[in-house]
Amino acid sequence: MTSTYIRNATWAPTGESFDIRLTPGHTQVVPEFGGITICDAEVKPAGQMNIPERGRVVDATGKLILPALFDLHAKIELEGRSKRESVTRTGQAAVQGGVWGLLVQPTPGFMFDNSASLDSFREAVGQRSVAEMIPAGCISQGMKGDQQAPYNTLSARGINILSDAGERPGNLLMLHRAMKYVAELDMCMAIRGDVPSITANTYMHPSTTSYQLGLHGTPACAEEIGLEIIVRLAKDAGCRLHVQTVSTAAGVDIIRRAKAEGCKITAEVALHHLLFTHQNVGDYDTTFKTVPPLRDQADADALLAAVKDGTIDCIVSDHTPCTPFAKKQDFPSAPQGMCMLDHFLPTIYTKLVQTGKLSWAELVQACCVNPCAIACPDVTNPEEPEGMPLMLFDPAARSVVSEENLPCGALNTPLLGQELCGSVTLPLQ
Amino acid sequence: MSTPKDLLTIDALSDADIHGILKGAAEMKQIFCSGKSTPALAGKSVLTLFYEPSTRTRSSFELAARRLQADVTTFSVATSSVVKGESVHDTIDTLMSMHMDYIIVRHKNSGIPAVIGRHAKASVINAGDGAHAHPSQAFLDAFTLQEKYGELAGRRVVIIGDILHSRVARSTSTILRRLGAEVAYMGPGPLVPLEKFTGIPRFTNWDAVFDWKPDVIYLLRVQNERMDTPFFPSADYHNAFGVTEERLKRIDDLDLSIMHPGPVNRGVELCDNAMEYRNSLICDQVENGVAARMSILSYLTPRTQNND
Repeated sequence: MTSTYIRNATWAPTGESFDIRLTPGHTQVVPEFGGITICDAEVKPAGQMNIPERGRVVDATGKLILPALFDLHAKIELEGRSKRESVTRTGQAAVQGGVWGLLVQPTPGFMFDNSASLDSFREAVGQRSVAEMIPAGCISQGMKGDQQAPYNTLSARGINILSDAGERPGNLLMLHRAMKYVAELDMCMAIRGDVPSITANTYMHPSTTSYQLGLHGTPACAEEIGLEIIVRLAKDAGCRLHVQTVSTAAGVDIIRRAKAEGCKITAEVALHHLLFTHQNVGDYDTTFKTVPPLRDQADADALLAAVKDGTIDCIVSDHTPCTPFAKKQDFPSAPQGMCMLDHFLPTIYTKLVQTGKLSWAELVQACCVNPCAIACPDVTNPEEPEGMPLMLFDPAARSVVSEENLPCGALNTPLLGQELCGSVTLPLQ
Repeated sequence: MSTPKDLLTIDALSDADIHGILKGAAEMKQIFCSGKSTPALAGKSVLTLFYEPSTRTRSSFELAARRLQADVTTFSVATSSVVKGESVHDTIDTLMSMHMDYIIVRHKNSGIPAVIGRHAKASVINAGDGAHAHPSQAFLDAFTLQEKYGELAGRRVVIIGDILHSRVARSTSTILRRLGAEVAYMGPGPLVPLEKFTGIPRFTNWDAVFDWKPDVIYLLRVQNERMDTPFFPSADYHNAFGVTEERLKRIDDLDLSIMHPGPVNRGVELCDNAMEYRNSLICDQVENGVAARMSILSYLTPRTQNND
């Protein structure tokens, strides 16, 4: 069988050129790639690989090679759509966006609190998804916040991360005990900082915009108090904690301090919190309704700085498909969330890399290496790594986001109509 | 140039629109006070769609529409399919099939009239949405003050009470500032948004109000129905923020006007005697409400078929 060769691809973080032979099942630690392990390919510096004349050769001159991304935060359920179709379409959206693996948050239709739902989900993923999808188990039964989910059962089914889709169980005593329990199973709790009694009936960041629109503001202090609560509980319980969707500058400081104290804590930021502010809400644009809300430019700047200095480990899509009807409602009634998965890498490239705000090395760290280490330690296990797949990225390609190139099937993205740079080839074949 | 289809906020109007509607209000007041009607809206259908309770705004709009010889339909939310879970969109689709030309809507959620306005060919008039806007109130307030003072440039109006939940404060402050007046806010700390968000001076006591030398004291109703968790100790309100007998005397000495959008909570925002105060404009506001709403209805341009 003839192999496929990729000649003269540029390793994005350093600009060095490499030749690649696609070899299913092969893994290789590549020192030039910062020591990460890649799978299904052999890599040598350009010119050092013996490329036979009969082989299939793709000339990748001018294109970039980098590990495919992993997204730690996506919801895939869309009202009125079958679960199987959600799996199929989200998989297509992911690979188009340069993402080979997703941590899927539980939602009412994908309630990962029992083995049957995990089995049927994995079966659907195996049959229908072109991307890897790893379920996050529920923290509480039915995500109701009052009783622990069966952690041993979930752990035995390979669940590594627990989440109630960002919500913190209301009963802190239950949560504290759950953290102590799962610490023994080396599972990680993924929770967002929030105090629901303070943020009830609030819709956006308190600001000039919220005043003019007559919408009650979601105080930043609620996130910060909520963060302190989960950090203190997790530290006391010795439990791994992954902080979901940090949105405030002071929240970053809390995470920085907790890391300095030696807490087993990682954190993520949603891409939209790096790109947009409350001003984008404009005249009740429900596309920009998110939880936590879009905040000030100073917060966005602090979040990006925290990604660069490693305080925030991951950039996530926080992909949340909504029906057009739901988003056409008034701002308080419309559901929160936006779709950022379909064009994940081209968006980051266009808005952050091309503008000089984020380097390729930082991007690979925050969108691939760190999320893989949190969600699928097998991939990054230094003893026997399974490795990450590679993708090609053509920075010269241009595309305008439209209904035709949103495979996830939901249109609630602020990118509609925008031109983005870069296109992804994934998987490599 | 055609006039706007909808009246959603004061911000959305040009200066010409604001002056046009205010000028129309003066003309309509003459018609209204002489007990006559005018065929400005003859053959048109006006619908009032109130998802929240209202006495004066709804009856004021209905009276205004009748004086313009329109057909008026009252959509009663409490007995409609809305209580069966029908969405606002579907309700509007249903109502548009009835070929309404004007929809006057009130809703507890900020932004609902804008959603309807985008969806409907009829002129949509915001009769109050959440804490967002109440533009017809703003027009009747500005008109009342113009009657009293003439030119408003340089006049000072302090709006007192629950600013946070008040669509009246937002719309009335906007129109008064557009007309050159100065506005300040005063009320309990948690109910007065920060100046950095509003651009409007923020006071939390009466001494600061009197020091600011206002011409008009504009009192707002304490909206207990919007306060799920208390914002202030309610026993304090009258003494701390209300017009007490003592403050009424000082207001009288300084010859200041008092306004209130109603309904009034006697003994909370103001003492009994304040209702009979010689410079109270509260009843003028109600009377001018009909004139202002007649002017608004006749000013807008619906895009419905019967208008083509």
